[in-house]
Amino acid sequence: MSERVVRCSGISRTYQEESVPVHALRDVDFDVFRGEFVSLAGPSGSGKSTLLNIIGGLDRPDAGEVEVAGIELNDLTESELSDLRLEKMGFVFQAYNLIPVLSARENVEFIMQLQGVDAAERASRAAAVLAELGIDGMADRRPGELSGGQQQRVAVARAIVTRPVLLLADEPSANLDSATTKELLELLRTLNETHGVTIIAATHDPLVMSYARRRIGLRDGRIVEDVGSEAA
Amino acid sequence: MHVPVKLLLRLGWRNLFRHKRRNFMLLLAICVAVAGVVVMNSLIRGFQFDMQESAVANLTGHVKVLAPGYRDDPNIEKSFKLAADWQPDLPDVDVEGWAARVRIPAVIMSERETRGIQFVGIDPSQEDISFLGSVAIDGEFLQDADDDRVLLGKELARQLETRVGRRLVIITQGIDGKNREAGFRISGTFDADGTGLEKMFVFTGKHTLQEMVDADVVTEISVKVSQQASEPVAKRELGSLFSNLDVLDWQELEPQAAAMFVYADSAIFIWFLVMMGALIFGLMNTLITAVMERIREFGMLRAVGMRPGAVVLQVVLESTLIMLAGIIVGLLLGWLLVLWLADGGIDLSQYAEGVELAGMRSVLMPRLLPQDLVLVAGLSLVFGVLAALYPARRAVKIKPLEALRR
Repeated sequence: MSERVVRCSGISRTYQEESVPVHALRDVDFDVFRGEFVSLAGPSGSGKSTLLNIIGGLDRPDAGEVEVAGIELNDLTESELSDLRLEKMGFVFQAYNLIPVLSARENVEFIMQLQGVDAAERASRAAAVLAELGIDGMADRRPGELSGGQQQRVAVARAIVTRPVLLLADEPSANLDSATTKELLELLRTLNETHGVTIIAATHDPLVMSYARRRIGLRDGRIVEDVGSEAA
Repeated sequence: MHVPVKLLLRLGWRNLFRHKRRNFMLLLAICVAVAGVVVMNSLIRGFQFDMQESAVANLTGHVKVLAPGYRDDPNIEKSFKLAADWQPDLPDVDVEGWAARVRIPAVIMSERETRGIQFVGIDPSQEDISFLGSVAIDGEFLQDADDDRVLLGKELARQLETRVGRRLVIITQGIDGKNREAGFRISGTFDADGTGLEKMFVFTGKHTLQEMVDADVVTEISVKVSQQASEPVAKRELGSLFSNLDVLDWQELEPQAAAMFVYADSAIFIWFLVMMGALIFGLMNTLITAVMERIREFGMLRAVGMRPGAVVLQVVLESTLIMLAGIIVGLLLGWLLVLWLADGGIDLSQYAEGVELAGMRSVLMPRLLPQDLVLVAGLSLVFGVLAALYPARRAVKIKPLEALRR
């Protein structure tokens, strides 16, 4: 069995919405191993985004333990979580979340700047990733000058340029048409298969689910199915 | 943890152009505030130094030597002898000038009017250090210390209903305590800045007055130094030379002017705080708006691993950059305005009496001190940083997840 990248054990999370407790996650257990492409699937309110955020250290569980790349997240401070996200994770957001005043190349480079990578290496790595994702011709354009699909490619480039252990994608196809979604999913699959990037995508899009090799189904905060697990 | 200052500076700079109109208006407000502070500072400094120079020029000097008791009861008995060849030999002080005088109260009479005056015997060649060195004279100035004519103020001549060339009678007390009376021809009238000096002083040759009071004495020595900073040294060294006399600086002799001088320093700070205090809320408001508009961006930055400190630094840098731009343009604008105002100064002659009471001249000349510019620039930057702290706190207080959901 390959190396375990994520371990979730007994994860529960309850929100208060207008004083009414909402059980987003109830006692969720699962592991993700290196090289897996996992979709967290389920309808709205099933808890998939909450689970993704907890794995990404953006939210904390009320109960249970989360481990990413062998590091127990519950024990980390906010700054330590920031460092972990910077060094080990890549994020692809539903709304791309590119920085509008930076060009595509600068958007890809800035994560490496946060890491302290020197300028020459930054430039070479960014150029390579942009070329690999087929957007090297748009490197000097700002997000406002790019289409939705192109922006999402830049977001993916930004997420993978640091060679993260884990790539987390939250509804990556939400703002894309089906053709662009397919292009994006092909890209993610290539990254997964050729570079061994571990991907967890929260989605309710069947197309995304079809590209993932493993599907964890969630409903009312519980895992209702886990199909294609390496551990299985 | 690596702090990507270059990246943050780039983001800060480009964000300035993100909302051009809003940031332009803010920049304009900073420029106007900084220029306003610079102009106001220069006027306060002008007022401050004008007051000081007037105080020093009103026969005071920077340091004065007086006989003990003269200040409480100024008369010829409170005087001291001074060798004819005496010079202020002060080894550690560059003396700009000095004057030994006989100054006593007297009564002056024309054919029509009588007034109380300060009768001052001077050596005209020494009076470059006092207001006499710069006043306009109608008629003639006194020739030397033996001149037996009088020079009086225009206003006093008007009140006495007399004019240049006519004679006056002056009565004062001699060294023996008996009244002395003598007639003097008017050599000229002086036109001082304001009527106070014109009404108060009547000048004649020092030797003439010494003869009149029958005493080869002086009542005061005024010393003016080249560098104000050497004033305490001059006072100390004169104190050593005249250990049995009173040696006082202008602050002690003109306490009201000295108090106003100190007040002017405070006024500069108060004015700065008022202007910048008002500005800081505008800046803070703009930054809060900018932060809230970009809250998703800050959330993303936090989500991908930017530490809270770096987010704070980014907001602070943005504030500092716009403040810096405003300060540079504001200082330039302020400097140009001061140059414009300095071309002739501000004529306050229509408020002459009030101005005179404040110890000022009727034309206010602004003064721009380099240290004031540095102070304005430095404190404005500090204000810029302070204004950014609250919006920066808002930017990091919100959790990345909440920010991303907005």
